[in-house]
Amino acid sequence: MNVPNEKIAQLEDFAYQIRRLSLEMITCGHWGHPGGSLSLAEILAVLYFHVLRVDPQNPAWEERDRLILSKAHSSPALYASLALKGFFPIEDLYRYCQIGGIEGHTDMRRTRGIESSGGSLGMGLSIAVGLAWGLRKKEYTKTRVYCIVGDGESTSGNIWEAAMSASHYHLDNLITIMDYNKVMAKGFVWDEMAIEPVRLKWEAFGWDVIEIDGHDIQEINAAFYKARWVMPRGKPILIIAHTVKGRGIEETEFNYKWHTQHPTPEEADQMLRELSARYGKPIEGYSRLHK
Amino acid sequence: MTSVNETNANLQMREIFGLTLAELGAAHEDILVLDADLHTSTRITYFKDRFPNRFIQAGIAEQNLFGLAAGMALAGFTPFPCTFASFVARKSIDQFALSICFPALNVKVPGSYVGVPTSKAGASHNSFEDIAFMRTIPNLKVADPGDAADMRAVMKTAYETPGPVYFRVVRYALPDMFGDDHTFEWGKGRLIRKGTDVTLFGTGMMTDRCIKAAVLLEKEGISAEVIHLASIKPIDSEMIVESVSKTGCAVTAENASIIAGFGAAVAEVLVENFPVPLKRIGVRDQWIDSGEIEELFAFYKMQPEDIAAAAVQSIRMKEGRSK
Repeated sequence: MNVPNEKIAQLEDFAYQIRRLSLEMITCGHWGHPGGSLSLAEILAVLYFHVLRVDPQNPAWEERDRLILSKAHSSPALYASLALKGFFPIEDLYRYCQIGGIEGHTDMRRTRGIESSGGSLGMGLSIAVGLAWGLRKKEYTKTRVYCIVGDGESTSGNIWEAAMSASHYHLDNLITIMDYNKVMAKGFVWDEMAIEPVRLKWEAFGWDVIEIDGHDIQEINAAFYKARWVMPRGKPILIIAHTVKGRGIEETEFNYKWHTQHPTPEEADQMLRELSARYGKPIEGYSRLHK
Repeated sequence: MTSVNETNANLQMREIFGLTLAELGAAHEDILVLDADLHTSTRITYFKDRFPNRFIQAGIAEQNLFGLAAGMALAGFTPFPCTFASFVARKSIDQFALSICFPALNVKVPGSYVGVPTSKAGASHNSFEDIAFMRTIPNLKVADPGDAADMRAVMKTAYETPGPVYFRVVRYALPDMFGDDHTFEWGKGRLIRKGTDVTLFGTGMMTDRCIKAAVLLEKEGISAEVIHLASIKPIDSEMIVESVSKTGCAVTAENASIIAGFGAAVAEVLVENFPVPLKRIGVRDQWIDSGEIEELFAFYKMQPEDIAAAAVQSIRMKEGRSK
């Protein structure tokens, strides 16, 4: 089902804001993972502003959809999405990695809207499987569990234990998105470990697989629609989202050096100017350049 | 089926655990039990048979087991992921620590087959490090019950306590120490036997051996106080200090490694509050071998006689006669 053009433009703008805020908070916090945050922007924009049944005024609503970010180092993009959605003030993002502020990875007890605590890779899908099992047991038939996994963390055995169990339990209320951004912490995925053929592996584990361009809003939306309404029942669904690590800024794209690295305020200023130009927005640099 | 209310000194603690879990399950519909292909060993079969729809088979995938439990807790259930303690402590400690304890999720984790008495499985299945590992994890409470009534009380309290709990289940039968009215409270020890010369602090199955050691010591004219500390974390610092301020020396006994374990927890309380001589009984930086159970206890010097000998040494240290 296609999304109207105005909605597409709105979601594109949210993706832009998620990228901007991710870079702002990483720069301000002097720590973080720009690459994996930037690759997730469109996926999170579509999830939080078109797909997820969540209510910032009532974050504990029992029948809400859940999003588990297994690749929790991409937390800046998630925090930015939550702030934009209204779970907490945008200003709080500037307390990233400060004591008592926002946790470097994810701490569900500290930040409104965060659904799990994580950071050690390979573990989030298991939580999502348990959650999907539990919510089905509670007969919350409208509720879906979304889990974002990384391509890099799919080298972990725990992911495959979880994948096997999800299909064993026939969890069709579980939709997993792989942010296949092709780059791990220290190089290209295929140089570090042979994860291909990704699609065949997940299919062999009993999943239905959809493969999309993870930066195309229309395709992302269509995949979520299909996963929710069209696919046959009884199986968990994986959306392989082909993305570009560090998407949006030439220096960071497919560049493992920007997996974990914070820009200097001057670098961030340049990056954000480039980003705004690329999105056809008024040129805007780093908001705290001289603070 | 065996009733949990019968007094069964010949029932292994895992049996008491399995029966109690089924009873808790009958009373509380939010309890889920997860298995990693060991239900007849851990004795969660009792729960499985009565509540098959609340029993989840996770396969031999312990890392996933703990992640599943975390997710089920997030959905509002009270999961008991059940496997051997060695797999909790060694195979899936990151999942347990980060996915469950960091967000303080309501998951209750029994560590089965703890310490020395683990059939003849040997090093891979004998957990001696679990107390040490669990003790360092924030938000986690740790207990090692000493008899059937204590197991039932620990499990009842564990269910009623919000947040994660780890408790030890030994594959061993223990004589009754407490009556049916026994209760368990976090951070509270139990005075089992009064004494004046030395305090024997026991946890789990080793408290029974401390009692037997006290009887041996009595024959030598030594008055030993015995305190049972099922709650390892939090630990009853007050009772520990109060007792040694009277006896002036102590022995700890645990069915686990003495390194960073229960004896170390008591030692921490003592050195920071009331330093007195202390001897520790337990596994001493060794892997646990295959063998007949009682022979293994003798081999690792964890018999009542060993506790009594350590008590004499501790008293000598107190009196300044130690080398």
